[in-house]
Amino acid sequence: MQIDYTMWKAIIYKEWIKIRWTAAIFLGLGILVLINILLRIRHDILFVDATNYWYNVLFRGYNYASMLKFLPFLAGLGISAAQYFPETVNRRIKLTFHLPVKESRVLMGMHLFGTGSLLLIYAVWLILFVIISAIYFPPEIMQSTLITIIPWFMGGLATYFMAALILLEPVWLFRVLYALVAYGFITMFYQRAGLAAYLPALPELAVLTVLSSIVVLFSGYRFRKGEM
Amino acid sequence: MRGNHNQRKGMYAIECKNLTHYYGKKLVYENLNFTVEEGKILGLLGKNGAGKSTTINILNGFLHPTAGECLIYGENSQHLTPATKERIGFLIEGHIQYSFMNIHQIEKFYSGIYSRWNSEPYWELMSKLKVTPRQKISSMSCGQRSQVALGLILAQDPDLLILDDFSMGLDPGYRRLFIDYLRDYAKTNQKTIFLTSHIIQDMERLIDDVLIMDYNRILTQQPVNEFMKRFKQFVIRLKNPNADFPKNSLSLNIERTKDRVEFYTYGTLEELKQFLSEHAVEYVSVEQQPLTLEDAFIGLTGKY
Repeated sequence: MQIDYTMWKAIIYKEWIKIRWTAAIFLGLGILVLINILLRIRHDILFVDATNYWYNVLFRGYNYASMLKFLPFLAGLGISAAQYFPETVNRRIKLTFHLPVKESRVLMGMHLFGTGSLLLIYAVWLILFVIISAIYFPPEIMQSTLITIIPWFMGGLATYFMAALILLEPVWLFRVLYALVAYGFITMFYQRAGLAAYLPALPELAVLTVLSSIVVLFSGYRFRKGEM
Repeated sequence: MRGNHNQRKGMYAIECKNLTHYYGKKLVYENLNFTVEEGKILGLLGKNGAGKSTTINILNGFLHPTAGECLIYGENSQHLTPATKERIGFLIEGHIQYSFMNIHQIEKFYSGIYSRWNSEPYWELMSKLKVTPRQKISSMSCGQRSQVALGLILAQDPDLLILDDFSMGLDPGYRRLFIDYLRDYAKTNQKTIFLTSHIIQDMERLIDDVLIMDYNRILTQQPVNEFMKRFKQFVIRLKNPNADFPKNSLSLNIERTKDRVEFYTYGTLEELKQFLSEHAVEYVSVEQQPLTLEDAFIGLTGKY
């Protein structure tokens, strides 16, 4: 048990070294975007007037969070690349698979850490976003906006999972095929839609996102089988 | 684990049985059989494309053989348990390591992974490198990276070391350092080593047994001293440079340039002279030449 704990601590340490700068950059970038959103709302409410601004949000489909749209996607892509690209250089994943842990366990452990880090970044952004929204909008607007932006965050997670699948795949042709599937899958989360329009589809999207979390095991399996 | 290790002395650390592998339709080898006894250092030598890396990949579970199996400490190499993996130190061709770390970070990482971790040999080797504490492994020279990879394996304290082309990219000084350190470590601690290299210079200093592969087959597996004693090169000067030179089971390989014939054999000078007289080969002289392991390897496998 003690060995298991120190081993997982070591694996997390390695993953942390790989992603720390990327995670910090995206966290900071998100905070800057949120500050920008805050200043824009403040500016528009002060200089345009609150009634008009709310009217635009409620009836004309204006989304004050639109600057955030592709940030979760970029963060998912960035964290995945930072975590899995170094494993593919010189087929370094061999070292990871040689560690005294079951291959699928170590891969899922790494994946869990990456997902957790991404969720933490998303959580910080969302909390700040809720705080900013709460200052200027009633709960109804805030709730609708949150429903609008949640698929963007799910899309970010799906991007992380699919990018891991692609990066760890040993055969280039398969990478291209996975990339095409990933493109079709991820664009589902980023369709242009009105405020809270995704509400009926959220459970299905959530299920798909969770399912995509384990596809990386397939690339790991193919690598171990010696596909090249 | 150590008690278990001692009880198993004399058994095989590696046992490959009827190993057959194809890449698509291309046969790499068929029904390959070899063993590595515990406590021995075995060098797998072969030309490029003879199947060295294929064998290493099968041993490490990164390639499913078309048929047959390799057992490491009795377990199929495709399904090694974590406990057995802990007993194996693995050096990837090119001394690949987590080069995004520095020497402190990587030591901290591996020390949490392996229960028998002993950092002493690692830091001893690191003290010889002229690197800054924060310098990433990726910015080190090939020789320095080889020392980091070697130091990590020694600190892991495995029972079996699998070293894939350990000499790749090393200058003679680092190669000698690597070999001397490894030999001393292995013999002091009764470790088993299975290694491949395509640079054969210096290998005589390291290995106990030699396994020489050619395309599709094993040419020989025997103790290196015995091989070097039995395998001979005779240089024959022919009277007639255009005369045909016969072949039989005595000649393992013949390399000829005009009147000079290099004759490689396990036979004796007397047997060769008898062979020459039986086939009425007229010669000016027959001389046995001293061989290094590299000469013997080329003699056995041919220059091309």
